[in-house]
Amino acid sequence: MKALAFLATVGPMDGAGDGLSTVAAAQAGDLAAFELLMQQYERMVLVTALRLLGKLEDAQDASQEVFLRLYRNLRKVESGSNCAGWLYRVTVNVCHDQRRRRPAPVAMEEIAEPADAGPDPQQSATEAERRRVLELSLRVLSEKERAALVLRDLEGLSTEEVARALGSSEATVRSQVSKARVKVREFVERYFRRSV
Amino acid sequence: MNCSDWEERIAMYVGGELAASEAAEVGRHVADCAGCQVFASGLQQSLALLRAAHQEPLAPAHFAAVRARVLAELAGERRAWWRRAWVYGLAGAAAVALLVALAGRPGRAPQPVRRPEIAVTRPPAEPPKVAVAEAAPEPKPVPRVRHGRRAGPGPAPQPVQLALARPPETMTVKLVTDDPNIVIYWITETRGEQK
Repeated sequence: MKALAFLATVGPMDGAGDGLSTVAAAQAGDLAAFELLMQQYERMVLVTALRLLGKLEDAQDASQEVFLRLYRNLRKVESGSNCAGWLYRVTVNVCHDQRRRRPAPVAMEEIAEPADAGPDPQQSATEAERRRVLELSLRVLSEKERAALVLRDLEGLSTEEVARALGSSEATVRSQVSKARVKVREFVERYFRRSV
Repeated sequence: MNCSDWEERIAMYVGGELAASEAAEVGRHVADCAGCQVFASGLQQSLALLRAAHQEPLAPAHFAAVRARVLAELAGERRAWWRRAWVYGLAGAAAVALLVALAGRPGRAPQPVRRPEIAVTRPPAEPPKVAVAEAAPEPKPVPRVRHGRRAGPGPAPQPVQLALARPPETMTVKLVTDDPNIVIYWITETRGEQK
């Protein structure tokens, strides 16, 4: 799919010599080099955390933890030569830990009630409202389904990459992603009370 | 096969996750089934909406805030590490200097630990005073009588009750240590005892 291909190119790619030398410099204790490394991956980490957690403050806390872990594990990252994959895996784990520590209560009525009772709510809803609704749609998913959907459909990773990041098999990821897509579709249809 | 059984496969088909042969099979079903066409279309549109909703860029300040927090924490850790290293280094250097100074003192071979000198002082012994509790006459020598078995008990000799009244006796033990500033005195007092 074109959209997925485009999204995949947005993420940072590994294997560039600059990336490895930046890792090496950061590993030697160069904080400026580590800052460069953060700038390279901060969008990916923060956006993924935001999609998994739903709140910017929580996502920022998670990102901070992810980068601190990156600094303390630079040796592993270098040997694995896949910084993005490592960061995706750690981001998912950190978000999982954070959700366990401070679970976000989801008010079902907040999700179930439509924003507008007009004849065409989708058109009348503001863009921010629509975005909020779609973000809420991720909350109806289980944690694993959500992670799989976010990595596969929003981050644009391949099924194999998602499986590696989640520590699952590709078959499990395919099943989780398909279930998540069906649930999101049901939620969106129910919310807007029309077939999208 | 019920159409609800196709849902997950259609969801994979929409995402392009099926192998070619399976994708062809699902494609044929969707082409023939109006309900599944609506379902597949709904899936694609909801996914497109979801992606669009999540494409809104975050302000650069949000990233900068995270970066600043991480760098501040790392800098703090480094300061703490250097502080610890400095203290431990100083303590280690002091210990080494002390060892070198002790080992390098001329003419002082390692000596065995000297036992503390103990000096015991006693007050001059006084002759014990003997107080006679009962003024008994000088006992006359009683001829020894060997009593036979059949002999009746004769008058038993009267024992002389003597009480020895001894004054408290003190003893001072002086322990002299290596350190001339430390002298330990141990003072004991023995009360008179009756035997």
